[in-house]
Amino acid sequence: MKNITKIYRSGPVDCPALNDVSITIHRGEMLGIVGSSGSGKSTLMNILGFLDQCTRGEYWFAGSDVTDLREQELSVIRNRRIGFIFQSFCLLPRLSVLQNVMLPLLYRGMAVCDSADKGMAMLERFGIHSFFRRKPGQLSGGQQQRVAIARALVNDPDLILADEPTGALDSRTGQDVMTLLTALSQDHHCTVVIVTHDPKVSAQCSRVVRLSDGSLVK
Amino acid sequence: MKMSMVIQEGIINLLLSPLRSLLALLGILVGTASVVAMLSGGKLAEHEALKQFESLGTDLLAVSLRQRSDSESQAVSEAPLNAALFPVSVLKKNGIRLMAPYVQLFHEMQYDSQEIRGTVLGVTGEFFQAAHIESARGRLISDMDAFNLYCVLGNSVYETVRKNSLEDPLGRQLQIGKNIFTIVGTAKSWPQNSFVFTNINDAVMIPAQTSMLLSRNISDSNIIVRLSSSARADAVEEVLRRFLSVQFPGRDLVFQSPKELIARMTRQTEIFTVFLGLIGGISLCVGGIGVMNIMLVSITERKREIGIRRAVGATRPDIRCLFLAEAVMISLFGGVLGVLLGVFISWLTAVFWHWSFAFFLFPPLIGFSVSAATGIFFGIYPAWRASLLDPIEALRAV
Repeated sequence: MKNITKIYRSGPVDCPALNDVSITIHRGEMLGIVGSSGSGKSTLMNILGFLDQCTRGEYWFAGSDVTDLREQELSVIRNRRIGFIFQSFCLLPRLSVLQNVMLPLLYRGMAVCDSADKGMAMLERFGIHSFFRRKPGQLSGGQQQRVAIARALVNDPDLILADEPTGALDSRTGQDVMTLLTALSQDHHCTVVIVTHDPKVSAQCSRVVRLSDGSLVK
Repeated sequence: MKMSMVIQEGIINLLLSPLRSLLALLGILVGTASVVAMLSGGKLAEHEALKQFESLGTDLLAVSLRQRSDSESQAVSEAPLNAALFPVSVLKKNGIRLMAPYVQLFHEMQYDSQEIRGTVLGVTGEFFQAAHIESARGRLISDMDAFNLYCVLGNSVYETVRKNSLEDPLGRQLQIGKNIFTIVGTAKSWPQNSFVFTNINDAVMIPAQTSMLLSRNISDSNIIVRLSSSARADAVEEVLRRFLSVQFPGRDLVFQSPKELIARMTRQTEIFTVFLGLIGGISLCVGGIGVMNIMLVSITERKREIGIRRAVGATRPDIRCLFLAEAVMISLFGGVLGVLLGVFISWLTAVFWHWSFAFFLFPPLIGFSVSAATGIFFGIYPAWRASLLDPIEALRAV
């Protein structure tokens, strides 16, 4: 993945959250982004994940310019090429574990029974298939995060974006999750980008960049 | 995303907050119910109106000769109104099959020294044929009765007399005014009808010529005319108008044909329908606003869910579909309940007015589609709002 970015973002009163940030993320890399809060980590993450668009600059994703895509195309990219993992898991509480994992497949337009099969296979891979019927609220934090990872991976994305994936977990389950992510990047050549301020987490990344006041610090 | 999935999710979401969904669909329910009730009720009323003519036929023309209010009524010569006035050849030529004049009198009646309520009708032999009155017992009045003091009792009068005196009135005496009449027969129960003004069941019928003796001053007379199948009502009306205005100067002629009557009833039903339709429309509107309100609240509450869905790849149309489906689901559910309630109300109306109830497919269909349309119309705005939410902002929401 070639990724040359130059980002400048202005808030409602034109306060720059990111200032001329350029970064290249390679395929299969496990990149850690660290920085104090307010340094623009999340903004960078949102732009990387096509949730937001930069005010100025270019974003090249997998060899093509994706800076000026329309809303519809952004949704498609988010659906097929990006997997999100959030600090607070972000599972839908009304749906069952399996339905949560199936959701990206359904939005992709896959038939219900096919996506159920695939979702089950994914849950099995992470060893949580036994409670596919339960609601996320009935699971422990570590289990929920594994469901979230299963959901992120179900569409075979090119890029996995993890925003403080261990932030809401205790150190042991956090370590489990980290082991999972490391395995993903090494065995499946997935690109993983982790935003964190936990030094133990960033230590496991193959490369770490630091953001400060919207700029990269080498 | 598949339509069936969207619908399924919509239903699940509604079931998760049943009370709220119920409140939201209440307005739709009332609106649909009133639309359905009004349409079914209108149809039933129309049905009922037409049914009157099933027993009586539509080949009728009613004429009433009324005293002109401005002229000195006493000055008008009282030619006795009877069928003999009209030469048979004239009738045949103009397509009149039967001609039955009758007069209505108001006299005190006594049987066994007990007062009886009812009207007195002076009739000719043709009257029974023209108004489809059948004999129950004894005989009916015929033209041969001339000036004799014979009378025939309507069904209700017969029942009352029988109940009061505990004996068969046939052949006994009835006092009308100062004269004693012999009861020669009774009529069968007669379906009431807005075409013949008096209720035959409450009437005592006497020979037309006798009625002339009873009362000098008969102000209103009526004629029931039966047309032959080829005759046109307005042509007959014209002939009769010419003929009667010569015979009875100083009288107003009022013609009434079933067609006209049906038209008038239809017009009344239409007014009724428009009025109820307005009520239905207003309550549907209120219901729709209720649905919109609930949907907006639900969107605020589920901001985060929207954010998550967007993050995993839901497009704006996907989000729009999701919320629109929920709004439509509420409305459809309300619509179904409303249709049931509406049909039930129209059934109650039918029972209350003693109409025969019939189920019409058309009003429920209309009610159902109107409720669906309301759901779509009032669901569009909230769904559109939901789809415009910025995914980042939505994700940040608690």
